Amino acid sequence: MATRMFSNLVLRGIAQSRVSRSSMVGQGLTYSTRISGDSDTHEDFQPTNKLKDSGISIQDVVQQDVKENPVMIYMKGIPDAPRCGFSALAVKVLQQYGIPISARNILENPALKEGVKAFSNWPTFPQVFIKGEFVGGSDIVLNMHQNGQLKELLSDIKNASAKP
Amino acid sequence: MAVTKDDVEAALTSSLNPSHLQVIDTSRGCGASFELEIVSEKFEGKRLLERHRLVNAALAEQMPHIHALSIKKALPPSQSPARS
Repeated sequence: MATRMFSNLVLRGIAQSRVSRSSMVGQGLTYSTRISGDSDTHEDFQPTNKLKDSGISIQDVVQQDVKENPVMIYMKGIPDAPRCGFSALAVKVLQQYGIPISARNILENPALKEGVKAFSNWPTFPQVFIKGEFVGGSDIVLNMHQNGQLKELLSDIKNASAKP
Repeated sequence: MAVTKDDVEAALTSSLNPSHLQVIDTSRGCGASFELEIVSEKFEGKRLLERHRLVNAALAEQMPHIHALSIKKALPPSQSPARS
């Protein structure tokens, strides 16, 4: 499984709202350990890797992302430079609330893209997660912004925004 | 493979039996891109996210070939008097 191959995906790639670090993501995520696709290597002799041993896959990384970041968006581009109108829209809406937004650029990593899609069972980007829960894409975020649900959902995050 | 408006309409009609369906091709000739409004009894009692999931599922076959899909409305008949 391709997702398994990215067991070294680490969190440092996350772009905080105004920090354009996410260009690191793509490079940081590439195959940094030996992954054995070698069918005649006995598993005892395969390289060990802590993350792999702890069962960390792309799915786990996504799970951790959304758990640790109250507002997490997987998007095309980065918040400061979205590469798609829908991603731009979602970011713009979320930015109305003055809350920290964490983002990953899925354009830089096809495995992450597929992993997120599988995680949420949602076919398109952007994908917004709030307090660990999948909220939806840009249409839903916009809709919730317009009907006040988003404000309600984000209210306690806003209060906690002093927290690093 | 290019997905046409007709393909999208056919897929949504067969899965969701909508009482109102409007598909607008917003591609302007580059990549398949659609906006849609749909009213279906299958949306009754479902949250927005679940309604969008039903639309996505109905278009599962077409989605890989659609560049952009904007679901403007996905409502059950009980919420869909032509407002806004």
